[in-house]
Amino acid sequence: MKQLSRGAFALPGTSLDFKTGTWRNEMPVHTHWGAPCHVACPAGEDAQAYIAKMMEGHPKQAWEILVQANPLPATTARVCPHFCEQACNRKHMDQPIAIHLIERYLGDEAIKNNWAYPVDVSKEDGEPVCVVGAGPAGLSAAYHLRRLGHPVTLIDSLPEAGGLLRTAIPVTRLPRNVLDAEVGRLLKLGIDFKPRTSLGRDVSLEQLMGEHAYLFLAPGAAKSRHWSVDGAVPSDLREGLGLLKEWLVVGDIPKPKSVAIHGGGNTAVDLARVMKRAGVADVHVITASGLPGPDADPKDVLNVVPREFEQAVEEGIVFHAHRTIQRLLMRGSKLVGLEMVHLKKLPGAGGRSSRVAFEGTETVLHVEMVVPAIGEVVEPQGFENLLGHADYFKADPIGQIAGSDRVLVGGDARGDRGTVTAAIGDGRLAALAIHAKLTGGELPDPKRRPFIDYDKLNVNYFEPAARAVEPMLALEQRNDSDEIEGGLNFAQVTHEIGRCFSCGNCLACDNCWTLCPDNAVIKTVERAADGSHYVFDYEYCKGCGLCAHECPCGYIGMVSD
Amino acid sequence: MLHALEGSQAIAQAVALCRPAVVAAYPITPQTHIVENISKLVADGKLKCEFVSVESEFSAASVVLGSAATGARSYTASSSQGILLMAEVLFDIAGMRLPMVLTCANRAISAPINIWNDHQDAMTVRDSGWIQLYCADNQEAIDTTIQAFRISERTELPVMVCVDGFVLTHTLEVVDMPNAEQVDSYLPPFTFKNKLDPKHPLSLGTLVGPEYYTEARYSLHRALEKALPEIESADADWAKICGRASGGLLTVDGPESASVGVLAMGSVVSTLTEANEILPGKKRVRLMKLRAFRPFPAEALRQACAGLKELIVLERAFSPGCGGILGTEVRAALAGMAKPPAVRNFAVGLGGRDIPLGTLSKLLDAAKAQGNEGFSILDVEPERLPPEDR
Repeated sequence: MKQLSRGAFALPGTSLDFKTGTWRNEMPVHTHWGAPCHVACPAGEDAQAYIAKMMEGHPKQAWEILVQANPLPATTARVCPHFCEQACNRKHMDQPIAIHLIERYLGDEAIKNNWAYPVDVSKEDGEPVCVVGAGPAGLSAAYHLRRLGHPVTLIDSLPEAGGLLRTAIPVTRLPRNVLDAEVGRLLKLGIDFKPRTSLGRDVSLEQLMGEHAYLFLAPGAAKSRHWSVDGAVPSDLREGLGLLKEWLVVGDIPKPKSVAIHGGGNTAVDLARVMKRAGVADVHVITASGLPGPDADPKDVLNVVPREFEQAVEEGIVFHAHRTIQRLLMRGSKLVGLEMVHLKKLPGAGGRSSRVAFEGTETVLHVEMVVPAIGEVVEPQGFENLLGHADYFKADPIGQIAGSDRVLVGGDARGDRGTVTAAIGDGRLAALAIHAKLTGGELPDPKRRPFIDYDKLNVNYFEPAARAVEPMLALEQRNDSDEIEGGLNFAQVTHEIGRCFSCGNCLACDNCWTLCPDNAVIKTVERAADGSHYVFDYEYCKGCGLCAHECPCGYIGMVSD
Repeated sequence: MLHALEGSQAIAQAVALCRPAVVAAYPITPQTHIVENISKLVADGKLKCEFVSVESEFSAASVVLGSAATGARSYTASSSQGILLMAEVLFDIAGMRLPMVLTCANRAISAPINIWNDHQDAMTVRDSGWIQLYCADNQEAIDTTIQAFRISERTELPVMVCVDGFVLTHTLEVVDMPNAEQVDSYLPPFTFKNKLDPKHPLSLGTLVGPEYYTEARYSLHRALEKALPEIESADADWAKICGRASGGLLTVDGPESASVGVLAMGSVVSTLTEANEILPGKKRVRLMKLRAFRPFPAEALRQACAGLKELIVLERAFSPGCGGILGTEVRAALAGMAKPPAVRNFAVGLGGRDIPLGTLSKLLDAAKAQGNEGFSILDVEPERLPPEDR
């Protein structure tokens, strides 16, 4: 029998005689929660993971984590509204992490250093799959299918891959050398890319179905919605997306003295800025939505990347929010102005509110030109039977449609997407789904993981630190060719990485190891099974919860024992 | 050599003779003069020791806890609220079996605040596991302080030397101050077996679960019980060197034939001794001076009470809602006797109220009126209170 020393002195190691684990009624467990940035990203990028890798000093490995989800990070860093930053828990302390600038840094470093995708190009033991449309959704699907070892044929009616990234996004937002570098790197993965190949014209759906096990349709939405005001349309009407595409290819844009652009999306704002820079004195955007602001309801604001809106205001674009066009004022067939009216929200059927004209709030706007940019629908080209009379495809979250079990659909053609990032996410999920169907595996689960709230973090361990600010071309320096927003340098990126809370994942801060009063936290040299560097010794853990409380990241939680 | 010294100064010199390595204390009336004098001895280079000025009694006790654990002979002193503030650490020191000496300049406890003498402070920490020795005069205070270091280091228990505040600490008395050779021959250098040593690491104050805690407490109880003969031999051995004994566990004075006994602790015993000589119209009593309150010398007490019909326990503190503390313990100890005396129990002289020579006579009269299980405060004047509070 062990004998107690006089005064209950303990010799080294003797405290191990007290198995305090028997006192416990709660036990700490490691839980890798979704970080809000990760859960919010439609493309499925795990920003927390690649920021952590950057923090360890491995930018290339960080980029490899990034491209496990998104093959075009330099592109999305420039064009995405950055749902990650809107979700970032850091906003509750000071400002969100500039995740898009970290993504951009990694994307640009990869281009600069010619980093290769972590994909085995020689692996082609899968079944042939055809991807229709080389926009973001199609490119993403082709990439992920290649990653999984399937031979891929990618067809597009245009001479170059990129879809609307190339045809509709101004180079001031997305320089073409960046797009070319990323798309070029992607196509080199052994993808059989067939440009100038139009479904319905050069090849039929049946033909493709015959030659391939699965088909991924990502035709986008390129046909402008029909637009008129009470049936009236100026004779010289041009649609917004058409004008933008024409300007990108030809470099020419109409230059009236004044213009009103009707719509609240990126096309409307991009076009407004292009026309303003081309010399149009008065550029108005008329939108039924509200404007972004501190009190704005997120569901009610312009569907535009917020900083694009800010830059547009800086450049002198006049926004008319919560308004619609009630009447066109014509002299003969020529437009001389239009009558706007405020919209008010009324509760409508099924709980959805509808906007109606607010009588008595009519105002007249004298403009020489009106351009509708109210959105686009799918142009049926060779898949009329699958689409029917609908404007968009109806698909489940992983892209399966009712018409065929060998055709999956993604991107803008779904009608419920609307961002490049969402299209990239669609391509990935569809590729995973096709792979699962081909190999008898489990279909991907598109459900969003639960993410960790701000109040589950212990932010006492973080100092307030201002968000890094990206360089921006001054108003007078902005033109039609130079990128407006710049990237961060390495020092700024390092600063930004240091601001990350590491929400829901171990930061390896040693708090649990240092503070455990029972030495029940053991630090491991190699990573433990759960990916952290710590394991609990439940023989001694008395369940005090100190580790959970002092975990900055919410990685440790107490559960009933 | 005889000196006329203030009690505090005498105690300070006695402490210095014991060559402490560390002294840490925080001033509090009526203890202040003791540590003030020690600090002067250190400042004058007459005592080589680490004198640690601290910001509270809690820190003072913590410092000496630490220094004792390193094997350094350690000393502190306090009083009243200071003892209460130390309370947590006092229990730790005893539980860890760390030898050291503390002088408690006994003082009443607040509220109401009162800086004068009674025993409520030491009584309140009687369960801390410290040895408590009470001194009847300043000569005893000197001798008991020196003995306390030997008792403490031999038993590995801390010793509290209780001296009445003001009555002893602030009065001049002719005392015989031993010389360094006498003390050095009596008190060997302190060697502590369980001291903290980086070469042989060990942990103090570790957690002990239900499976061993009972044994840890039992061992403390046994250690105090075993200290009884050590207290007696320490006194006897010191008497061989300097010719004076301080009274071992307890002493008995007065005629052996007396049927009435009076038991008390501290300086009041000196008053009672004098009063016993001049007791007008009454038989002299058997006077008992209890020196060791912890450990409680139950067997010695029973022997001292043999043949008594009545024992009056006079004390300087009480437990509100219960009665006497010392009286209750004496009753419990005597309950095992074949013919125990009837025990009367009085508190007297609380918060510095004077105890004149006439107290003994008054006490004997009051004892006749008190029942066997009773407790009264001898000098209380209830008419000073509103009727509803009497």
